[in-house]
Amino acid sequence: MSSKIIVALRVPASPARAFEAFTQEIGLWWRPSPIFPFTPRSPGVMAFEPGRGGRLTETLAGGKVFEIGRIRVWAPGERLVFGWRQATFTPDQDTEVEIRFEAVGEETRVTVEHRGWDSVPAEHVARHDFPDAIFLRRHGEWWQVLVASLRDVV
Amino acid sequence: MTPGAPDLDQTLAALADPHRRRAVEVLRRGPKRAGDLAEALALSAPAMSRHLRTLRRSGLVEEAGDPFDARVRIYRLRAEPMADLKIWLEETERMWSDQLLAFRQHLERSREA
Repeated sequence: MSSKIIVALRVPASPARAFEAFTQEIGLWWRPSPIFPFTPRSPGVMAFEPGRGGRLTETLAGGKVFEIGRIRVWAPGERLVFGWRQATFTPDQDTEVEIRFEAVGEETRVTVEHRGWDSVPAEHVARHDFPDAIFLRRHGEWWQVLVASLRDVV
Repeated sequence: MTPGAPDLDQTLAALADPHRRRAVEVLRRGPKRAGDLAEALALSAPAMSRHLRTLRRSGLVEEAGDPFDARVRIYRLRAEPMADLKIWLEETERMWSDQLLAFRQHLERSREA
């Protein structure tokens, strides 16, 4: 399995407009994830500070500002790269998100690449040394736990 | 926050180090003695032992006795943390898919307005 996540979608806008909306209007369109809150007090309001070295932040209800990451590449209409940390990450832990904007006719393909997790093919490792029946049973148990925890947050 | 999340953070922290990632790569091919692992990674015994301690605490690796020699400790991968990581990555992928859909809806709305 790959250590990075890639998701792409076509949106009805020019690359310049898509970049502008992605960065300057993120507070309007971002859907807070109940599964991955940035901090225990999340959700708050997301915002980008424009330009390289600026920050992606979440401002919590009490006014506190949590820095999700610094902007590493700011190329309007083309590319955006920023750091991504949740409050529970350890200090040496950091992941990176790259957003690419490519014109496709009148529209723009927006690609999200979230990388930096590890370089381990987890699927292979998970099966290591386990007969299939045991693997399947254990995997079933993990899903039960996951579903139960989802029930708590949804 | 899901109950499994702190463990997963430990897993990710343990994998943040290149030596420990390499150790996991080596252990994918089968259980190993600490000495053999140190040799494979070109690490000193104390350094290897520190990394193995971190990997054990994270739950990625477990220790067992050698059936042929009680003095020797064998290290092998545990399955659960990696499966957690896989589930975590799948959930992250779903999160970004949702965000992109929300982003597209936002653009559709603002175009109509």
